[in-house]
Amino acid sequence: MSTVRAAILLLFAASIAPVARAQAIPYQRPVDTAPQQNTIGGGYKTPPVQKPLPRDAWLQLLDVALLGLATGASVWLVLNRRSRKGLAWLSLGSLAYFGFYRQGCICPIGSIQNVAVALVDPHYSIPMVATAVFFIPLVVALFFGRAFCGGVCPIGAIQDLVVLKPIQTPRRLDRVLGLLKYVYLGLALFFAVRPALGRDFVICRFDPFVGFFRLSGAPHMLMLGAAFLIVGMFVGRPYCRYLCPYAVLLNWCTRLARRGVTITPDKELDCGLCTGSCPFGAIDKMRAVRKDCLYCARCYTSCPVPEVGRTPRSARVPLDPQLGARP
Amino acid sequence: MTLYRRAAWAAGLVLSTCLAFLLADYAVAATRAPRDASQIKSLQEQLKSDASLAPRLAAEQKRITEARLARKLRDRWLAWTLILAACAFLASAKRAVRPWQPLAPKPIPALPSRDRQGAVPRPINEPPPLDLSYVDTAIAQHGRGRESAIPLLQAIQTHYRYLPDEALRRICELTDVTPAQIASTSSFYAQFRRSPVGKHIVRVCHGTACHVSGARQITEELRRYLAIPDGADTDPSRTFTLDEVACLGCCSLAPVLMVDGHTAGRLTPASARNALEETA
Repeated sequence: MSTVRAAILLLFAASIAPVARAQAIPYQRPVDTAPQQNTIGGGYKTPPVQKPLPRDAWLQLLDVALLGLATGASVWLVLNRRSRKGLAWLSLGSLAYFGFYRQGCICPIGSIQNVAVALVDPHYSIPMVATAVFFIPLVVALFFGRAFCGGVCPIGAIQDLVVLKPIQTPRRLDRVLGLLKYVYLGLALFFAVRPALGRDFVICRFDPFVGFFRLSGAPHMLMLGAAFLIVGMFVGRPYCRYLCPYAVLLNWCTRLARRGVTITPDKELDCGLCTGSCPFGAIDKMRAVRKDCLYCARCYTSCPVPEVGRTPRSARVPLDPQLGARP
Repeated sequence: MTLYRRAAWAAGLVLSTCLAFLLADYAVAATRAPRDASQIKSLQEQLKSDASLAPRLAAEQKRITEARLARKLRDRWLAWTLILAACAFLASAKRAVRPWQPLAPKPIPALPSRDRQGAVPRPINEPPPLDLSYVDTAIAQHGRGRESAIPLLQAIQTHYRYLPDEALRRICELTDVTPAQIASTSSFYAQFRRSPVGKHIVRVCHGTACHVSGARQITEELRRYLAIPDGADTDPSRTFTLDEVACLGCCSLAPVLMVDGHTAGRLTPASARNALEETA
C-alpha cells in the first residue's frame, strides 16, 4: 500500500518539474480581434479592460497557501478534534473566500482540465497555481481521505449549508448515479484535450454554483444551480456524490489512505445513530466508507459515547473493559 | 418550534415571490428584447429617408436603455432579498425540521441507564423473608460432621436456588462445619451462588463461535435492556439472571442463549430481547 502511495507521490512530484519550467514564460495576451491603439490612431488609448492582468504573484501564492492550510485544518478538525462545529465554521470561511471572494476560480475541480491540456499541448503553459491546486487535495487524500470536500470546497460548502432533511438514498441507486461522475470526467477530458480552437472547459462552463458566487450568470445555469440546491435539501450534496469529476480522482487516492474517518467497532455501541446522521450514505453496515466520506463529522456529533464522539484521541479510553488499556 | 415553522413559511413565501418576480422579469425582458431591436432597426432604416424621425429614435433608445437599467436595479434588489430570504429560510427550517439540539449530545453516564425500548416495566421485588426451617431438615438428613458440608450446601442451593447468608450462618451454628470451610467451598465450585437468583436464568453462550458472532453485543444489549446494574447479574425485578457460560454445544446456531431449558439461536440483539420477553 505504502509503495503504491510512494509511487503516486513520485509521479506527482515528477509532473511538477516541467510545470515549474513553464512558469518562466512571460504572461501575454495579444488582442487581435479588436482595433488597437496604432490602428485607431489619433492618440487613442485602449482601456486596460482589454488586457486584464493576472493576479499578483503573492496573492496567487496566498490562495495556494490558504488552500493547503484549510485542507490541513479540515484533517485536524475532523480526525483529531472530531468537531462538527469547527468544520462548519471552516467550510463557511472557505465558502466566503474561495467561493464569494475568489468567485469559485481557480478550483481543483476545474484544474483537472488545465492539467489535462498541459499534458497534451506543448504550447500551453499551465500556471503553477493550477498545478498546486490540483495536487494538494489529492496528496492529502492519499494520506487522510477527502478532507478537501468537507472543509475547503466552496461547491461542497454551499450544498452542505442547504442540507435540511436528507433522505437515505437506496444504495443501489447511489451506486448507479455515482457512475455519472465517471462519464462527466470522461466528457470533460475529451473536450479539454481537443486542439486549441475547439477546446472547451465544460466543467467550468456547466458549474451550477459559480453563478451564485459571482452573483450573476446565465439564467439557465442559475436555475440549474437553484434546482441542485433544492434537491440538496433532501439528498445530501448531490453534485459532489453524483457529478463531481474531481471526486473520481479523490476516490482513487482515498483508497490508499491510512487514516480517515473511522467508526471503531470496539469503542462504540453499534447503535447505528451515526448511520442515520450521515446525509451522504457513506456509512455502510455501521462502518464508514472512506471513499464516499465527505468529512463532515456529523457521525461523530451524533455519537452518544463521549469516548468516541468528542474526546481527543490521546485522552480516549477504551469502552470495553475486556479489551484492556491500549498502548 | 411553531415559531421557527412560521418563520420558515414566511421566508419561503418571500423567497418564492422573489423567484417568481425574477423569472417573470426575465421572461418579459426576453420577449421584449427582439421586438425592441427590430423597432430600433426599422426606425434606423426609416431615418435614412426621413431625417425628422431622429428625435423619435433617440427617445425610443432612451426609453429602452432606461427600462433595462431599471430592470437591472430591480433584479439586483430582488436577488439580494432572495439571498437573505434563503438564508432565513434555511436557518429557521433547520430548526423546525429538527428541534434545536446542542452540537454534542449529552453523553450517557452508564450503559444500563439507556432507554429500555419496548420493555414492560417490572416492579422491583423485595425478596420474601426466608423460611429457614428447611436448613434443619437438611441437617437432619445429611448429618452434622465436617464431611457433610458439600451435601448440605447442595441441598440448600437446590431448595433456595442460591445460598442465603442466614442459612449458612445457621449451618455453622448447628454443625461442625466452619465459616471458612463454607466460604472456600462455595466460592470454589461454580454450582454454588451466594446472591439471590432471578425467576429465570439466562445463559448466554460465550464460546468461540458465539464470541466471534457477537455474544458480547448480545450480553451488553440484554444488560442494558434489563437494566442490570454494573457488577450485578440479576435485574432489579428479580425476573432474569444473566449468566455467561463457556459453551452450550450448538455452535452452528451461534450466537446462542438459553432461557431456563429453552434454547434460542442465530440471535441479534433484538431477537435476544424477544427470546426473553417470550419467557417472562
